[in-house]
Amino acid sequence: MSLVEIRGLSKCFGSNIVLNNVDLSINKGDVVAIIGPSGTGKSTLLRSINLLEKPEQGTITINNKEISFTTKSSKEKLELRKNTEMVFQQFNLFKNRTALENVMEGLMTVKKLKKKEAKEIALKHLEKVGMSDRLSHYPRHLSGGQQQRVAIARALAMEPELLLMDEPTSALDPELVSEVLVTIKKAAQEGNTILLVTHEMNFVKNVATRIIFLENGKIVADGTPKEIFESPKSDRLKDFLVKIHMLENVEYSI
Amino acid sequence: MSKIFDWQLVFTQIPAVLKYLPVTLELTAIAMIIGWIVGLLIAIVKIHNVPILKQISTAFVSVIRGTPIIVQLYLTYFGIPIALKYINYYYGTSYNVNGIPPIIFAIVALGLNQSAFDSETIRAAILSVEKGQVEAAKSLGMNGIQIFKRVIVPQAVTVAIPSLGNSLIGLVKGTSLAFTCSVVEITAQGKILAGNSYRYFEVYCSLAIIYFVLTIAIERVFTYIEKKMSVPEDVETEKKGRLPKKEGLSSELG
Repeated sequence: MSLVEIRGLSKCFGSNIVLNNVDLSINKGDVVAIIGPSGTGKSTLLRSINLLEKPEQGTITINNKEISFTTKSSKEKLELRKNTEMVFQQFNLFKNRTALENVMEGLMTVKKLKKKEAKEIALKHLEKVGMSDRLSHYPRHLSGGQQQRVAIARALAMEPELLLMDEPTSALDPELVSEVLVTIKKAAQEGNTILLVTHEMNFVKNVATRIIFLENGKIVADGTPKEIFESPKSDRLKDFLVKIHMLENVEYSI
Repeated sequence: MSKIFDWQLVFTQIPAVLKYLPVTLELTAIAMIIGWIVGLLIAIVKIHNVPILKQISTAFVSVIRGTPIIVQLYLTYFGIPIALKYINYYYGTSYNVNGIPPIIFAIVALGLNQSAFDSETIRAAILSVEKGQVEAAKSLGMNGIQIFKRVIVPQAVTVAIPSLGNSLIGLVKGTSLAFTCSVVEITAQGKILAGNSYRYFEVYCSLAIIYFVLTIAIERVFTYIEKKMSVPEDVETEKKGRLPKKEGLSSELG
């Protein structure tokens, strides 16, 4: 029995079908990377799972409870969101709160923990991402990489069943990418179930247990990194891989 | 020959004028609160595009902004009794049309005037909070009220404070028109005093001093609040955090 079961997820913006009847099941402890050309619904898939978009149809089963993506019940919406946490491309830390307060926020308002307990948990998670020395810094005092690490701590502190990461390194200076990738890798090794959209192919190769190639709102290929990168079956996937390798080649030749 | 300009009187009559300062302050405080509450409601209606209410709000703001405050004071002063007469006539009630304390007219007119101007300030301030932070809060599982209270309001307030302070200063000076509704506040009191002494210029000098001091005080308070609420420029604890390091370094060096 898988941890998360998504059935028939569809989403369109106007007449543009972004997700077309996507089925996806994720096992506990999986690190699933979604790759694919831009505009194929990678981010939309993640955002739909967290109901930041309103899909037209589909269901998700998480924690043995089936919730429709089109649910109007705010109780069900909150339940789904409590089981999933999102890490955003733009970090989206609360600007008026310090690093520590950012991590404590959800623990206190959503999990209703006492301040002391929330602080304990927050400290533990900030330490894991290596931010213990920046507790009372506001986001504006932190670099992009540091902000993203705080954001990861904020998400992990909520102990989600499924961690969603939407291009967590795309807004970072090249120098800062690795510190975030290291943090994600650590979270993966600790057994967190992660669904991740990224363009860091080498990272995907090393850390992901499974890769999904999404194109035009459909899952075109699904397999282990080895299967995807070394013996791609679909022509489109081959094309895509050639293209990204070509880009790399061009870069190197300059 | 009597003095052409009795500059001593300018100062000696200030206490007599100040007797009615509480009325000015009462008008200001109540109109300010009405302005904020109604302004917030209008802002929310406009942001959420509530049908019908939005059109009413837009028309209201447009009319209030398009007419002078003195005309609005006359309109409430004469309009409310006429409305009461109609109510008495159609519903058989017997409200005392002449029994309304004059300050009510001034409060209603000034409060509604404030609300129209403040609503735009508040709307802009709420919209200035990044959508990403709201999404992050949703993702944490916070409900609408929690998001509004803990994410939007604290940040919107810091944005709105300077403009709200400005509008409050305008309001303090606007209360000087309340005499048109036969409310005796400091300006009206000054006129009464001058009516006895024929020292009009001196009284207006006293009034100028009083309003000026009042305005400066309000400015100061708002500057203080603004500073208190905004995210500090520098990291306070950074210094504290660095101190031990420096000590360590110096001891190493020594």
